[in-house]
Amino acid sequence: MTAKTVFPFAAVVGQDQIKKALLIAVVNPKVGGVLIAGEKGSAKSTLVRGLSQVIPNRKLIELPLNATEDMVFGSMDMEQAIITGKRQFSHGILAKAHNHILYIDEVNLLQRELSNAILDVAVSGIHVVEREGVSNSYEAQFTMIGTMNPEEGDLPPQFLDRFGLYVTVAGEKNIKDRVEILRRILAYEQNPIAFYQKYKRAGEDICQQIAAARKKVKQILISDAMMQLAAQISSQGNCAGHRAEIFLLETAKAIASLAGRHDLLPMDMQEAAAFVLPHRMRQPPEESREQHSQKKQQHDQPAQDSFNKEQSQLPDEEQSNANEPSQDRDEAPEVKSEGELEKGKRQEDTTMADLLPIGNMALDLQKRQVRQSSGKRTLAKTNTRQGRYVRSCIPTKPVTDLAFDATLRAAAPYQLTRAKSMCCINICRGDLRQKVREKRIGSTFLFVVDASGSMGARQRMKAVKGAILSMLQDAYQKRDKVGMIAFRRQTAEILLPVTRSVELAEKSLQHLPTGGKTPLAEGLYTALGMLSTMCRLEKGIEPVMVLVTDGRANAGGRAGQDAVSEALQAARLIGETGVNSLVIDTEQDFIKLGIAFTIAHALGGSYYKLDDLSAENIIHIVNGMK
Amino acid sequence: MRHSAIYPFTAIVGQEDMKLALILNVINPSLGGVLIKGEKGTAKSTAVRALADLLPAMETVKDCKFHCDPQDNNQLCGICQESLASHKQLVVQAAKMRVVELPVSATEDRVVGTLDIEYAIKHGEKKFEPGILAQANRNILYVDEINLLDDHVVDVLLDAAAMGVNRVEREGVSYVHPARFVLVGTMNPEEGDIRPQLLDRFGLSVIVSGEHDPDKRVEVIKRRLAYEANPDKFLQLYQEEQETLAQQIIQARQLFPTVSIEDELLTLVAKIAIALEVDGHRADIAVIKTALTLAAFAGRITVTSSDIQEAARFALPHRMRRRPFEEGILDWKKVEALFGDQ
Repeated sequence: MTAKTVFPFAAVVGQDQIKKALLIAVVNPKVGGVLIAGEKGSAKSTLVRGLSQVIPNRKLIELPLNATEDMVFGSMDMEQAIITGKRQFSHGILAKAHNHILYIDEVNLLQRELSNAILDVAVSGIHVVEREGVSNSYEAQFTMIGTMNPEEGDLPPQFLDRFGLYVTVAGEKNIKDRVEILRRILAYEQNPIAFYQKYKRAGEDICQQIAAARKKVKQILISDAMMQLAAQISSQGNCAGHRAEIFLLETAKAIASLAGRHDLLPMDMQEAAAFVLPHRMRQPPEESREQHSQKKQQHDQPAQDSFNKEQSQLPDEEQSNANEPSQDRDEAPEVKSEGELEKGKRQEDTTMADLLPIGNMALDLQKRQVRQSSGKRTLAKTNTRQGRYVRSCIPTKPVTDLAFDATLRAAAPYQLTRAKSMCCINICRGDLRQKVREKRIGSTFLFVVDASGSMGARQRMKAVKGAILSMLQDAYQKRDKVGMIAFRRQTAEILLPVTRSVELAEKSLQHLPTGGKTPLAEGLYTALGMLSTMCRLEKGIEPVMVLVTDGRANAGGRAGQDAVSEALQAARLIGETGVNSLVIDTEQDFIKLGIAFTIAHALGGSYYKLDDLSAENIIHIVNGMK
Repeated sequence: MRHSAIYPFTAIVGQEDMKLALILNVINPSLGGVLIKGEKGTAKSTAVRALADLLPAMETVKDCKFHCDPQDNNQLCGICQESLASHKQLVVQAAKMRVVELPVSATEDRVVGTLDIEYAIKHGEKKFEPGILAQANRNILYVDEINLLDDHVVDVLLDAAAMGVNRVEREGVSYVHPARFVLVGTMNPEEGDIRPQLLDRFGLSVIVSGEHDPDKRVEVIKRRLAYEANPDKFLQLYQEEQETLAQQIIQARQLFPTVSIEDELLTLVAKIAIALEVDGHRADIAVIKTALTLAAFAGRITVTSSDIQEAARFALPHRMRRRPFEEGILDWKKVEALFGDQ
C-alpha cells in the first residue's frame, strides 16, 4: 500500500523503450503523455506505478476503471451542503491531477463517456464544471499515462492522437534477462522492504537525472534547422494537423536534456520520431503504387475494412503479420519491409532515410482503419439495471434505478429549509436521480444453413462452420455470439445453440450431415422460434440472421401450400419482427430461379450472391452488417 | 453455521490435481489462485469450502473490515494504519479463512464497495461501505462460472487481482483498501470462454471431470451418504487425516521462505517460456513460484527439476496463446525436450 511496497522502477529489467518514454513525459510535460500498449504481463503497470518513486515533486494520480463521472470531474460537496445549505464544489480526480500525472490503467476499457470528457479536459487544460447547480472552472493540466492490452479492444482514434508518445511492449525474449527478471521478482516477494532498499540508490539517481533534465529542458533552444526537420518528418509521415511537429520537438528536447545536452541534435529527432509518429502517421511515406491502389479499394469497400480488422485484431501483432500474406497477397511486400526497417531503425548509424519508422506506421495504418469502422458496437446504453453506472440524470419517467449519491447531493442544499424528519436528509420527489448505465453488447448471429442434397451443400456447411469458428475465436473481444440451424429432409435441426464457446462449437459442428430435400420454411420457423426466445431472454440484443441457401425449397408445405410460398410466408413473419437478416444465395444451376432473392425481400434483409462460397467471404459479408 | 456442516477435505475422493492446486494456494497466497475447468458436480465448491475449514485460524485485527494482518505493516488498511500512527495497539483476533462468494449476478458497486446510503441519509455524511473485495481480503474469493461474469465486473476484478489493492472512486466516495485474495474461479468451457487477460491472472489451472472408475464412484456415494447420515461421526473418522494435512500445510508455510532454486532451473523455466511463446512474464513467474511451493509442501528446501515439471502442468496450459482454429494446447513435447537437455 505504501510507496515502498511497489516494485521499484529501477529494478525492472529491460523495457528500455517504456522507461525512456516515461522519463521523457515526466521531464517535459509538453510532450503530451504516453500510451503504452502491449501484451499482458510485460511490466506495463509495474513500471508506471514504480514511476511515482522516482519523480520529484509530482504525484501519480490513478483513475480506476470503476470511477463514476462525479468522482472524475468533481461534484457538489454533500456534507457541506447539508450543514451550510451552500453549494460548494469538491474537486474530482482531474483537479487533483493538476500539475501531476494522471494514470489510467487499461485505458481502452474505460467507459466511452468518461474517456471523451477526459480528452476534452486534457486538450484544453481547463475544466469547466456545470453540474448539480455548481458552476466552476478549474485548471487541470496533467501528464496523461495510459496502459492497454490491445487484445481487449482498441482505443478511438481521437483518444489515441491525444497521447504524445506511443510505445509498444512485449515480454523479454533473451534468456539471461528473463532469468534475471525471475530472480528479482522472487527477491522482491520474499522481502519487499529489503528489495526496495537495494534499489533505493538507483532510484535516487534517476530522480536526480529527472530533476537535472527538467531544468535543462527549459533552456534548450530550437534552431530553424530542427524545426524544418520536424516539419519534414511529419509531412513525410503524412500526419494530420500540426500536433506531430510540436510533440516531436518537445520530445526531442526532453531526450537531449536527459542525455545532459543543451542543444538538439538530429539523432534526438530521430529517437523522438520513434515515439511520436507510430500512432499518427496515416500513410506510408514511400507507398508503392500497388499498395496505394489497394488502399483505395479499401476505402471503396467498407466491408473490406472490417475484414482486415479481423486480421489485425488477432491477439498479437506478429501473428496477424503471419496471417496476412496468405489472406491478402498484396499485403506481403508491406509486411516484409516492416521487419527490415525495424531492424534498420535500431542500428546506430542511421541515415535520413532510416529516420522514419515506416514499419510501425504501416501496421498502425491498418489499426486506424479498424478503429474507425469498429465504431460504437461494443458499448451501448442499457435501460435494464445491468451494466456500469456511468453518471446520473434527471428522470423523465418514474425512477427505476435510483442514483443514491446524486439524489442525496440534489437534496442536500435544501436541508436547512426543509422540515426535519427522522433522517438527517429529507428527500423530495424532485431530488430523485436516475442512473445511466453502460454495457458492452456484442452481436448475435444465427446462421440458418441449407443442408439439403442440392449442389454445394457440403461446401455451404463447411464454409459456415469455418466462419462460425473464426468468429468465435475473437468472441471474447467482440462479445459476439453465434448459433447455427441446418435444415434438410423434413426438419430443421439446431446444430449449435447460440454460444460464445469455441469448444462447444467445435464439438457440435464436428459432423455436418447433408443430403435430402430442402424444407426451407421449416428452417425459417425454427429460426424464428430461436430468435424470439433469445430476445425474451436477453433484452437489448439485436440478433442478425444469416440465411445461406439456394432458395430451392421443395419440402414442407404444411397446409396444402407449396414449399416456396410457405417459406415466403415464414420469411415475412421474421421480417415483421424487425430482426436484421441477410441472405447469401448459393444458387449455381444454369437456370436461376431467384427464389433466394424473393426471400431476402420478404425478410426485409440484404441479399448477397456468392459463387465462391468460403469462410472468409462469409465473415466478410457478416462484418459488413455490424 | 455449525462447524460440523462442512465436509472434510481429506474425505474427498480423487480430484487430486484440484486438491493440490488449492493447497498450494493456501500455502502461498501470492500464487494467484486457481481456475477450475470442468463439469458440474465435481466437488469444486465442496473442496474450496473444506480447505478453508481445514486451516487453523489466522491472526486478524479485531473489528477491521478488511481483516488486516497485524504482523504485516505494509498491507494494512487506512484505519489500521491510523491506529498504528497514533500508537494504539492493534487488538488481535483469531479468525478462520473464509470463502467469499462472488455471484455471477453481482453488480459492480457490490463488488468494489460504494457509498453507505443508510449512513448518508441518517447522518448526512459520506461513508464507504465495503464490498465483496473487502470481505475477500486475506480470504478466498470464489467465483462460480467466472466465464459468465459481466465484463465490467471482470474489469474491476482484474485490477484488484493484479495489484492486491482495491481503489474505489465512485458515487461520491473515494477509498483505497488492500484486497489480496486467493481467486478461485470455476468454469464450464462449453458455456463460453474467458477473456485471456483474466485467464493470465490465474496462477494455476486444473481440469476436473467426474470419476470414471466405478469403484471410486461408489466410494463417493458411500462417503456422501455416511456424511449426511451422521456428520459428526463422519468428521471423527477423518479427524486424524485432517490434522495431519493441516500440520503439513503449516510446516510448508514456515518452510517456504527458505526454499531456494538453482540458477539452471531458472534458466530452464525461461527457456520453456520462450519456446512456448507465452505472452509476457507471468507464465515463468507462476511456474517458479509454484515449484517453490511444491518443494515446501514436500518438506524440501531446494527445488528439483520434477517440481518444475509438475508446476508447469499447473501454470502453463491456460496461458498458451490461441491461434485461429487452434485450441490453447500445450505442446508437451517442446517442454519435455527442454527437460531432456538438462
